[in-house]
Amino acid sequence: MGNFFPRWTNWLPLQIAIAAVMIGAGITVGLTYYFTPKYTKVGYEPTQPVPFSHKLHVGQVGLDCRYCHSHVEVSAHANVPTNQTCYNCHGPDRGQIKKDSEKLAMVRDAEKTGVPIQWTKVHKAPDYVYFNHSVHVNRGVSCQSCHGQVNEMEVVRQAEPQSMSWCLDCHRAPEKNLRPLEQITNLTYKPGDLDRTAFYTKLGFKGKQLEDSVARAEEKYGAKVTQEEVGLQIKDHWRIAPSESCTTCHR
Amino acid sequence: MKRVWHHPEESNSGRRYWRSLGEYSNAPEFAEKVGREFDPALSTMSDDERETSRRDFVKMMGGAAALAGITLTSCRRPLAKIVPFTKHVEWVIPGKSLLYATSMPRPWGASPMVVVTHEGRPTHLQGNPLHPSGAGLDIFAQASILDLYAPERAKHPAYKGKEMPWTEFQTAVNQWVGDWKKDGGTGVALLLNPSSSATRANLLADFAKEYPKAKIYEYEPLHKRGYDAALKALLGDSVKLLPNFTKADIVFSLDCDFIGLDTTSETAVRDFMKRRAPKQKSDAMNRLYILENRYTLTGGISDHRLPITAVEIPVATAVLAEEIGKLVGDPALQKASAALAGGASADLRAWIAPAAKDLVDSKGKALVLAGPRHGEAVQALVLGINNALGSFGATIETLKVDLGYKVADIIELKADIEAKKISHVLVMAESDPAYDSGEFLNSIQKLEASARPTLTHLTDRPKATTKISQWALPQAHYLESWDDVRSADGCYSVVQPMIQPLFNGISANELLLVLLGRKKFAETAKAAPAAAPAAPETDPAAEAVKATFAKIAGGANDEKWNNTLRDGFLPGTSYPAAAVTFNGGDLAGITAKALEYAVPTGGAFEVVLTADASLYDGRYTDNPWLQEAPDPITKLTWDNAAWMSPRTFAALKLTKDGDLIEVKVGGKSLIIPAISAPGHAANSITIPLGYGQSSSSVVGNERGKNAYPLAGANSVFTNSEFILSGASVTKAGGNYELAITQDNYTMEGRAQVREGTKDRFDKDEHFAAHEGLDSHAPPNISLYKGRIGSNDPKRKDYNVDGNGFDYLHEHQWGMVIDLSKCIGCSACVVACQSENNIPIVGKDQVAKGRVMHWIRMDRYFSTPDGLDRNPTLDELDNPEMVSQPVACQQCESAPCETVCPVNATVHTEDGLNAMAYNRCIGTRYCANNCPYTARRFNWFDYNKRNPLITNKVAGIETNNLYAGPLGEKSQVEVTKLQKNPNVTVRMRGVIEKCTYCVQRIESAKITQRSIARDNASQLRIPTDAVKTACQASCPAEAIVFGDLANEKSAVNEWKDNPRNYDVLQYIGTRPRTSYLARIRNVNPLMPDKRNPKTGEASINGF
Repeated sequence: MGNFFPRWTNWLPLQIAIAAVMIGAGITVGLTYYFTPKYTKVGYEPTQPVPFSHKLHVGQVGLDCRYCHSHVEVSAHANVPTNQTCYNCHGPDRGQIKKDSEKLAMVRDAEKTGVPIQWTKVHKAPDYVYFNHSVHVNRGVSCQSCHGQVNEMEVVRQAEPQSMSWCLDCHRAPEKNLRPLEQITNLTYKPGDLDRTAFYTKLGFKGKQLEDSVARAEEKYGAKVTQEEVGLQIKDHWRIAPSESCTTCHR
Repeated sequence: MKRVWHHPEESNSGRRYWRSLGEYSNAPEFAEKVGREFDPALSTMSDDERETSRRDFVKMMGGAAALAGITLTSCRRPLAKIVPFTKHVEWVIPGKSLLYATSMPRPWGASPMVVVTHEGRPTHLQGNPLHPSGAGLDIFAQASILDLYAPERAKHPAYKGKEMPWTEFQTAVNQWVGDWKKDGGTGVALLLNPSSSATRANLLADFAKEYPKAKIYEYEPLHKRGYDAALKALLGDSVKLLPNFTKADIVFSLDCDFIGLDTTSETAVRDFMKRRAPKQKSDAMNRLYILENRYTLTGGISDHRLPITAVEIPVATAVLAEEIGKLVGDPALQKASAALAGGASADLRAWIAPAAKDLVDSKGKALVLAGPRHGEAVQALVLGINNALGSFGATIETLKVDLGYKVADIIELKADIEAKKISHVLVMAESDPAYDSGEFLNSIQKLEASARPTLTHLTDRPKATTKISQWALPQAHYLESWDDVRSADGCYSVVQPMIQPLFNGISANELLLVLLGRKKFAETAKAAPAAAPAAPETDPAAEAVKATFAKIAGGANDEKWNNTLRDGFLPGTSYPAAAVTFNGGDLAGITAKALEYAVPTGGAFEVVLTADASLYDGRYTDNPWLQEAPDPITKLTWDNAAWMSPRTFAALKLTKDGDLIEVKVGGKSLIIPAISAPGHAANSITIPLGYGQSSSSVVGNERGKNAYPLAGANSVFTNSEFILSGASVTKAGGNYELAITQDNYTMEGRAQVREGTKDRFDKDEHFAAHEGLDSHAPPNISLYKGRIGSNDPKRKDYNVDGNGFDYLHEHQWGMVIDLSKCIGCSACVVACQSENNIPIVGKDQVAKGRVMHWIRMDRYFSTPDGLDRNPTLDELDNPEMVSQPVACQQCESAPCETVCPVNATVHTEDGLNAMAYNRCIGTRYCANNCPYTARRFNWFDYNKRNPLITNKVAGIETNNLYAGPLGEKSQVEVTKLQKNPNVTVRMRGVIEKCTYCVQRIESAKITQRSIARDNASQLRIPTDAVKTACQASCPAEAIVFGDLANEKSAVNEWKDNPRNYDVLQYIGTRPRTSYLARIRNVNPLMPDKRNPKTGEASINGF
């Protein structure tokens, strides 16, 4: 009886096992990476019908977010502005800025015909998620925390995964993102730039108590204000207790 | 594992509460259903399903999978668009709802309401709390929003069935008007429903002036000619009587369903029920006596009720008049009633005498009412009684109204048509004269085709009248048009449009303006898609309303106008009081006409035709919410049936609800399914009207049987053609399947209502809290380690383990429902449907027990409990009735939560039992484990697939739901506009249930946080700022909802009421919803044999 199987086949079962494990691991890693919002959503950068540049308008001109997204503090939606908002500056019979630009032809047309421009949605929550902008921006969460450095984006890009676990990360530890109300739309904000005494005064400290707090903070966090310090103080004093119940977002 | 509830054995004493006869007699079929989510008998396959066999299913799924394979290749992120306005729209903030005040025109006046709109589309209606007569809304007003989005609405003007542009109609009008100007409008007839609109009155007056020979006719299908005639004869013209229930201590109703379908004002329910909810024993209550042939909602809340046939009502009225005449010393009244009263039985006299004494003892605070279906004799006697009791000016407000134009009845129109005096009828009524008014159609059909008048029909959808009309014009909904109305007491309200007419319709006022030449249709450029809404100044309909407003407000005043639009009414505009003199001389003459009658017997039945609780007079036939809302008494959906007493039912040898009978009366006959209705008078049949229409929509087409042809067939009394006598009723053989919900979702067969007499309440205020098992069961010791009770040591329910709900920082929601105030009208059921995007499921699915309503309106009958379980016919002759709405009780220790394998239902920190739809995998364990059976399962994509149509799939005719992916998928686009954007539209395979309107709670919390910002002391929302949809809709104000952690909130006050009790408290679920026991104000002198033990024990047997 001849030897049907060459010698190397003795190792075959092991090789198959190793290969199976590696392929399995590969698929798992691949799926978790390529099929989660971290990959599928982050970096989504659709072309808009009018090449509006946030980098120019926010970064250079210095427009506040709320100039265009005017209802963000009262409504669930951070509205995309009406065409009128664009036209007020760019209209030939209004602000006259770049009034003949090719790129703004659609804005001028929309003004004339009344047919609105259809913008492409970048950040999309599923239908069963009821995210509310107003409660976040009114309670110390900056635009930047969810939308990234919009002031540096030529074309708006999704910067964060905005998945459920990402939402919960912040709801469980909001101190990582809280900042003073006047800094909400400041996209270049750094906690270190805050004046410590002013910050504590704003929180309601007075006199001796204020001095003590500032001194204690200096001792604990160093000369510069840190995010941990700002976040924890705000969380405590404003009683920020983000809900983790289902009904917070699903109704 | 299914938790087994160890309910204690029942004993056999006290009173028994039951919802159906099967439940009463503990029939084997019923015993099977007990404690189960679904009736097991129903889960067997129907013929329809059997046909769609497994093999077909596999075939279909194969096809579907192949299709899915094709579409998968294009698996990319879908491109979503954002389309902002080009110009800012005042007040509109995307994502925020806007509320407007307006009013719905009603037969008696108006329903003042607040309209919730989202980005310009109305989605929900609720009562206007600012309005002096603002309470909740009734079921019809609540459901009327769906009519706005009905896909079958008329969309174009049409001439002889051919679509025409409005300009073509204008050409026709120009020609008509040219002719009318020449001959003064000879032969022109306008047919309308009576309206309280002052603008309408002005336009009609102008019309009459412009075309003096044209005639104006008004009619209501369910007319009150008898009442009008009696009123005119005894009190004179231009007088309106309005019962004032706030002042009435004792009310006696003669077949008048003033709480339900015979209502004459929008405040009747609120005012009457307010005085039936004592907070402590010293609180006084009103008292209600009623005589009626069938159970009505008014009968259900009454303190004393006696079923008698409608034919005997005149006799009963005469007896009452005679007794009262004797007691107050009114010989005229005595004399007028003596002859008629002579025919009364001793039993009837014995029942009425103590009630009459009670009325006279409260002279000046007593009120007697008669149903509008009764003729002059009854109405005149009742006016006489009220006069003798000193009710005018006290419990009955006498108001002066002046129409301002001359109006004729539809009977005269019939005569005029037959006399060939009419050449053109313009029908602008909301009802459908060719369907609901036989005389109108007959008079036209009698004429030869060439002599028939031309008809122009302004209608919201194609109806019977449309079929015989030349011109059919689309009518605008009241939410699309300018108008004004006056509520029952005359308070002036403006009806303002919420949205541009969706289908190009015009209102009746606009049609009048067109006919008057004040509005013209011009060619409009079709190109502009975003045409700006017409400014009020340029809209002739708005102009007309403004002109009326200026007249009533005493001059055009922009501030007043704007305030009226904002608040929904103009203060101080009630009708002036009229001084009345009672003309008693005519009384005897009128009653003499009612002397000839025969009491119905087993051979000669009486037939009573009534308004329907879902369709009213038939005008709501195309509204699916109303069609699916169970009748408050019979719990029947999607059909009508002949109601009869169990005694008559047995005598006719009928065995099952739905057995067909043939009713023959006055040469007319009708085959209709019968239904056994406890509490119905014997030898009497009640048939609700409004059904059997041939409609163009799948919703209303051929539902039930049309009883209008019977009207007037053999009525004994003048002007009471809805009461027929001498009918023969026979078994027709065969059974028609009725979809009745009374056995769906039973709660272990144990009634959960508690009630007592006022006497009992006075002796023991807290009787409800320690009644039944709660009287002797030891407190529950729970092994449940979840959160229970409160963390606030000051509260009664302080949890010593320190694991209580956070009452110090969070809101804690709770609800109380007052059974003493609840009338069982089901307005809350529809309000909930509107607010929470609850789909309709269609008749087949209802019959399978799959109705989706989050609120189940239980209707219980109660009888003295004997030793055996076979109800005697005597017991079923006159049981008492109680209604109880049951939704999710939001248990703190919720049995549903512990069994969910995927944590799809869990508790929130503010005490809600939350439901995460996208987590639910549809095991239905929770529904199975809910002792209140408050959970509903989506067996199909009811929201996506129309359950009312059938479909042909691979040659098999099947219901659209069963056709799966091959069926017709999308529900009609336009109905989507009604959906509330703040509530998920659920899909197939998930459980849903009452959420305490969590979207409203979250919205209030978010708004408050946005206001508080960095001020942590302001995080609590203002007291009672959140109202649930059911609460806002309740016309009786029987529901209160609020924050238990806020000491000042109304819900805490109600929970402290001694009548408060929890349903199924002994199983330890700790529900957040509790109920207040019902109190009946019983007169001890009444010979009520039927209820010797009223409210002595309320849970079966304990």
